Amino acid sequence: MRKNALLLALLLPLLAGCGAKQPEPLACTPGQEQRLVVYTSHKEEVYTPIIREFEERTGIWVDVVSGGTNELLQRLQQEADAPKADVMFGGGVESLESYQDCFSPYICREAASISQQFQSESGCWTPFSALPVVLVYNTKLVAPEALTCWKDLESPAFWGKIAFADPQISGSSYTALVTRIQAGGEEACLTGLCAALDGKQLDSSGAVLTAVADGSCLVGITLEETALQHIAAGEDIALVYPSDGTSCVPDGSALIKGAPHSENAKRFLDFTVSADVQALVGERFCRRAVRADIPADSSLPPLSDLTLVSYDVEWASKNRDRILSDWAFLLGEVPA
Amino acid sequence: MNHPQSHSFRSRLLLSFLIASLVPMIICSALLSQISRIQMNKQMEADAQTQTDHILTALDRVSGVLPGSTLMLEENPLLPRAFSSREDTRVNNALFLATEGSRDLADYSLYDLQGRQCYSTGSVTPGSTLPTRWGVLYAAATSGGEPVYVATTDPDSSEAPLLQGAQMLKNAGGEPLGYLVMDIYRRNFQELFAGKYGSSNGILLLNRYWHPVYASQSGLSAELAPALRAQLLRGGYPGAETEEFRYQIQEHQPTGLYLVLRQPQVFTKSTMKLLRVASLFCVLVGILISAALCLPLSRRISQPIGRLLKAFSRLEQDDLDVHVSRDGEDELGQLAAGFNHMVQALKANRQELVENQRELNQAQVRMLQAQLNPHFLCNTLDTMKWISKINHVPQVALMSTNLADILRFCISAEEFVPLAREVEVLNRYVEIQKIRLSDQFTFLVSLPEELATCMVPKMILQPIVENAILHGLEGVPDSVIQVCAEQDGEDLLITVTDNGHGLPREMIGRPYKRESAPTGHHLGLYNVDTILKKHYGARYGLYLDSNPAGSGARIRARLPLRRKEESEC
Repeated sequence: MRKNALLLALLLPLLAGCGAKQPEPLACTPGQEQRLVVYTSHKEEVYTPIIREFEERTGIWVDVVSGGTNELLQRLQQEADAPKADVMFGGGVESLESYQDCFSPYICREAASISQQFQSESGCWTPFSALPVVLVYNTKLVAPEALTCWKDLESPAFWGKIAFADPQISGSSYTALVTRIQAGGEEACLTGLCAALDGKQLDSSGAVLTAVADGSCLVGITLEETALQHIAAGEDIALVYPSDGTSCVPDGSALIKGAPHSENAKRFLDFTVSADVQALVGERFCRRAVRADIPADSSLPPLSDLTLVSYDVEWASKNRDRILSDWAFLLGEVPA
Repeated sequence: MNHPQSHSFRSRLLLSFLIASLVPMIICSALLSQISRIQMNKQMEADAQTQTDHILTALDRVSGVLPGSTLMLEENPLLPRAFSSREDTRVNNALFLATEGSRDLADYSLYDLQGRQCYSTGSVTPGSTLPTRWGVLYAAATSGGEPVYVATTDPDSSEAPLLQGAQMLKNAGGEPLGYLVMDIYRRNFQELFAGKYGSSNGILLLNRYWHPVYASQSGLSAELAPALRAQLLRGGYPGAETEEFRYQIQEHQPTGLYLVLRQPQVFTKSTMKLLRVASLFCVLVGILISAALCLPLSRRISQPIGRLLKAFSRLEQDDLDVHVSRDGEDELGQLAAGFNHMVQALKANRQELVENQRELNQAQVRMLQAQLNPHFLCNTLDTMKWISKINHVPQVALMSTNLADILRFCISAEEFVPLAREVEVLNRYVEIQKIRLSDQFTFLVSLPEELATCMVPKMILQPIVENAILHGLEGVPDSVIQVCAEQDGEDLLITVTDNGHGLPREMIGRPYKRESAPTGHHLGLYNVDTILKKHYGARYGLYLDSNPAGSGARIRARLPLRRKEESEC
């Protein structure tokens, strides 16, 4: 028996030993100085070309983690002690502002070229594109003159037929709500809009356009970019810049505090506001560039033609909880 | 049959069978599967290398086009004017000429410095442009005149080009004139790679930053490419072998593309499982065969052994009638035969022993009978001697004296006597017989001095001489009886010769035969022979013969030559 065990012991390495040999890592594995980790809440068709071009131009490998704005920001907050990401790319600036503890200020190289209204005072964020709040309506079901301003939403014709995403979930919806408040005063606006909604809210900002396009809602509240994309896709939708005032809050990017690749992150932030990228923002993404030297697409009315409310980003981010709980109360929900 | 030994013997036999059959088989199957696995892997590696080499060679064709074509176009004197005057067939001719033999690889276009498409080997869409501050034209403008290759973002598109290559066109003074752009579509890649890789394999082209460019199957670009990139960024080895697939990754330097060749593993889990099941089946068959061979064999061995053991235990209880049946002529059969033979020999020996004892007892009984009241007879003879002396009858006195001596000799306790004494008693007897028979014969004794002390059983000569006197000498004139003792090697040879009638024909020329005796005739000879044989063994005894000197008989008694002290035992 011992002899057998010995034999087995001799054969065992022969049987097991032919395992896979681990090849050496490929030479192309990038070093830390060639890397960048980007958290982005942009849609894939927005971030992919920008990031690919950034890679081609700089030779930096970008690791993209995409997700919802709030989800990513919460994740950043959890990772604050040992940040994994370098840049937060996307998200309304008031969202970025409210998480400013996670970010470190950076004034990009071409800051001078950015329109004054989109500049960050603290340098906490770098703007990416301007997104005015607009009203949309179904062109088959609503006459153009029936909807021109926020006030028109409260007309009985639209009661219960307004597509509006829950501002608790959708950042753009909250921006729209604050814009409405700034345009017409808090109390009256909230109650008026609430009544017009007749207790109906949608689960996501994407559903607003769908609801208007398929006729289940007549009008909707959304961002210019989203509306333009759906119009470009040929849906029966038209957009209106409310004559009693809209806002043009940019979305932006921010350098994460303690970023492992902060130099590359700064290059990326510079890249997002470079003339080449900003030109692409206007041409391809139905957005408005934040650079003063790049005009909006000729089919769009210039910002200066719009009635703009003075949107106080700081106020919006400070009063977020209060406004949202008021809103929930008015809608008849029990605040959480 | 249920001896514990046979059980342990059987189980040991079974174990040996199992080890002898299973261990080599298990080792063999393990080795075989391992070897075939290694062989297959080698084959796969070789295949992968060949296929990647083929594909890389094909890619070399792609990367070879732009530099050559650019050179040809730049040398063409038409080029500087080509972008100002549109749709010049001579420019188109130059473009087609420059891309001759490579138009299966891509569509080639000339773009002016504003990114407007001016000429193309494919279809020209009016107003079609490429951004000069973005993508491939920007890369070509900033590459310092080298060809550049930029992947587009949708690797599964069949309408948009998957890979664009571009090189700046310059005039003799180094001033940029425009761009030569190659658009490689999905169909171009498919055509280029057709037949260059195994049908079960998949190929994936990655750009410099490991984003998918082209995939032979859409799953590869959507799932494998991000997984490989994530692996690379984690610092691991991208494309380490999995249970299902093996990957070969190689860079194509000129285009900066990475080629990933995916091969399905030959030795997948299910193949291994199948092999294992087959091996298990073989093991089971091995166990069955071992048991089937072992059980009859162990029975064949253990049953005869058990029978032998049983026979031995009967033998230990003194049962000499035991017999072992034998099954065959093999070693065990021979063993059984040997046992039987041994038992028979033992039995015969025992019988002979019993027979000897019985015969000795009979002889002793006879001797006891002969001693019947001998002292009374002696005394009577003495009385007779004295009466005859008183009455002056000397013959009676002599006879009484001799008879008394003989009688005393006979009833003496000693069994062995010196030969001289035996001869003396024999003389007394002969004297009596001479008186009886009126001196009709001559009695001669030849006893060498050195044999006088030889020890012999008492009263062995008297019956022989008596036989000669009673049966041989009757009516024979000048009859002589001669007793002669001599040494024959280790033996003592006593010969009694007479010149009488001789022995009956059937008794002559052989040792004394017992069967033919004790009927009364020659009872004395029989007794002597018996005594010699009982005392000394079968090779001793009487030998009957005719007198070689003429008529008469010669009887020789052979017994071992023993002196007084030796005969004690």
